Amino acid sequence: MRARLPLLVIVLAALGAAFVILPVVALFVRAPWGQIGTTLSGVGASTALRLSLEVSLAATAISLLVGVPLAWVLARGAFRGRDVLRALVVLPIVLPPVVGGIGLLVALGRGGIVGRWLFEAFGLQLTFTTAGAVLATTFVSMPLVVLATESGLRGLDPRYERAAAAMGGSSWYAFRRVTLPMVAPQLAAGAVLTWARALGEFGATITFAGNLAGRTQTMPLAVYEARQVDPGGAILLSLILVVVSAGVLIAVGGRLIGLR
Amino acid sequence: MSRRVRRWTILLAVAGLTAGCTDSSSPGTSPPPATQLTVFAASSLSKAFDQIGQDFQTLNPGIRVTFDYGSSTELAAQIQSEGTADVFASASGTAMDTVQDDPGVSNRTNFATNRLLIITPPDNPAGIDSLQDLTKDGVQLVLAAEGVPVGDYAREVLKNAGILDQALANVVSNEEDDASVVGKITSGEADVAIVYTSDIAVAGDTVRSVDIPDDVNVTATYPIAVVTGSPYPDQARAFASYVTTIEGQDVLEQFGFGPPGG
Repeated sequence: MRARLPLLVIVLAALGAAFVILPVVALFVRAPWGQIGTTLSGVGASTALRLSLEVSLAATAISLLVGVPLAWVLARGAFRGRDVLRALVVLPIVLPPVVGGIGLLVALGRGGIVGRWLFEAFGLQLTFTTAGAVLATTFVSMPLVVLATESGLRGLDPRYERAAAAMGGSSWYAFRRVTLPMVAPQLAAGAVLTWARALGEFGATITFAGNLAGRTQTMPLAVYEARQVDPGGAILLSLILVVVSAGVLIAVGGRLIGLR
Repeated sequence: MSRRVRRWTILLAVAGLTAGCTDSSSPGTSPPPATQLTVFAASSLSKAFDQIGQDFQTLNPGIRVTFDYGSSTELAAQIQSEGTADVFASASGTAMDTVQDDPGVSNRTNFATNRLLIITPPDNPAGIDSLQDLTKDGVQLVLAAEGVPVGDYAREVLKNAGILDQALANVVSNEEDDASVVGKITSGEADVAIVYTSDIAVAGDTVRSVDIPDDVNVTATYPIAVVTGSPYPDQARAFASYVTTIEGQDVLEQFGFGPPGG
């Protein structure tokens, strides 16, 4: 039998939910449904959507590739400054994305401290490129997979890994065959959150990579640019993002917070 | 510990998902010591208006002026949806027309003009010496997006020069407003941009400029007006007319703007 919730809690919860849901409802109410055909069939929308999917998936892949090892180090490594390292690694979550973009610009831009060298030695320029958009997006979204995976690893009894190691497996083997499968749910939830965040990335991308249709203009940037010339179109493009993101979050459901 | 990390995960995840966008700062929320006047102004005006605002406040201690700078087109849309501006200073007549239709304006006056010019980083990496050079292969050109006044003016210049399509092929980014375009050049990321003449008064040595011939250049005329519905119409009128006084015009000239007559 379910416990009855206090009325006050229900009222406050309803307020909180209404506050978050209202803007989404407003988008649906105010959307110029009459022009949905022209907006969605326009080259701009499909180009931006395709680029958004490519950029967000690439950013998620990179985040997993380096974020999971990072989580492993944070969870199992015993070294000084681990808490500081964790704070620095997850910093992009709380930083305004535009700050991340400026940071990337002075680090990896054509005149940046590392970027200058990349440009002079290899002719490699990241700003104004799709690769740059992927980097900016990764910067902002990777911490989510790190945190989720570390949380999973810490909830795991290290004796499983030790047992695997005692049976003669290398620590890499133990991680791959024992640890990884056990944290798979958290890792998957982290990956989905990372992807959802990547799909919505705006500030770091426009600051570092710029805004050009087909190259760096992802959906959020297309929404922003559309606001200038076609506010109704901007609402319709926003709704695409809302529907895609909400769909994913609903599909993943309780797994997001480790309930399943 | 795992609990704590997990709680962090949830909190930060939520924070991360919601922190997606940044927007131009809204006017301050501290309790107003005096009449709080909100002026929406084109981003090209930012430095000149910061100065004019200070001078105006010195002359009118009872009025505090807060500025919100951005693309005029977007500011116009914000005025229509939020209606929070007392005064609107636009970089184009078109954006002002939008506001004039809804919610309406009064005391509309043209107060400044601007011309366009080409800027490059000081070391001029792409060797730009004329408007024609914008069509050279591999040049990284930055413009403001279509719909942003300076972006539309720049496209007009390119069209006048008959190089619109070739130049657009070199565009690497369509920026959200004038200030962002200048930023891409001062940071050295792009090779060249078309911006307002007034921008070099601010950017100074951080950019190198190349003139655009008069026969293809365009003049941007800046109107200012009091927004209908402002709770402080008298103070708003006072600010709008201060901009057209000799003192206001001096500051505008100092920041590279031309007189309203052209």
